[in-house]
Amino acid sequence: MAINVLVVDDSAVMRAMIIKALHLCGLPLGEIHQAANGKDGLKVLDKNWIDLSLVDINMPVMGGVEMIDKVRENPDMADLAIIVVSTESSETRIEMLEKKKAGFVHKPFSPEVLRKLIIEKTGVTDEQVKGDAYQSNGFDF
Amino acid sequence: MNKLKATLIKATVLTFEQLSFLLPTEELDEKQQNARPEAAVSVEFQGPFSGKLLLILYGQLLSNIAANMLGQEDAPSKKQQQDAFGEIANVICGNMLPGIAGSKEVFQIFAPQWIRNAGSAAAGKETSAAEARVGLDLGRVDVRLFLSSDAVHFLKEHEQ
Repeated sequence: MAINVLVVDDSAVMRAMIIKALHLCGLPLGEIHQAANGKDGLKVLDKNWIDLSLVDINMPVMGGVEMIDKVRENPDMADLAIIVVSTESSETRIEMLEKKKAGFVHKPFSPEVLRKLIIEKTGVTDEQVKGDAYQSNGFDF
Repeated sequence: MNKLKATLIKATVLTFEQLSFLLPTEELDEKQQNARPEAAVSVEFQGPFSGKLLLILYGQLLSNIAANMLGQEDAPSKKQQQDAFGEIANVICGNMLPGIAGSKEVFQIFAPQWIRNAGSAAAGKETSAAEARVGLDLGRVDVRLFLSSDAVHFLKEHEQ
């Protein structure tokens, strides 16, 4: 199963770094879409089949928490696997995101951490991943 | 060294190491000390108290930092350089706040603001609550933390 991914972050540089980390995860990736805020992210979700969304919290126009709420309210996309990638690490915030069934990765992060959470959230099994060219090179993002 | 400064240095070193793949040093050589201001960016935050983090980059490092973050050999555009430095400021801020306010407090961190004149930002006389100076390659970064008056009360309570 190739995973179609949506990366939502207002920083184009951070989106590029997340996409680079995704490729280093060695997971079977399909299409990778990008959006600069939650509102644009919802438009991408509306028009494309997405298996996983990586979302920042603080963004202009629409932040990550509001985007997650709108996804969970929509029966067509309520089960989407979501991982928040953010600089914030408040335990209170992380608990709140867990209640919304979103994973959390703290910036800066390593591809290993991202990979583990993606497997957990998407249900991609080790069997499906086996044989892919996963190699940790020690990079963090 | 006070707790604010130690937290600021820790967050700065971690962020530059892991995002830009530079090797930050706490001891500065002469070249790093005399480097000229190249860029400045600030990030404001609000929560149980509010404040601002100001980063001033010295030396010709901005292009290298952005290229390292993007993993590309071509010179990044000015916009990419500003975006990269802003993201570094954002990550330092996000990593610093739990260190000074505790891990349960929730802060909103606002979008980084680019400062056109790095020289005047460097010469600014506003009194900071803490300042970190970290060597990077042939330059350095100064990180200044400004806190609102309500922070004093919060931090005193938090210490006890």
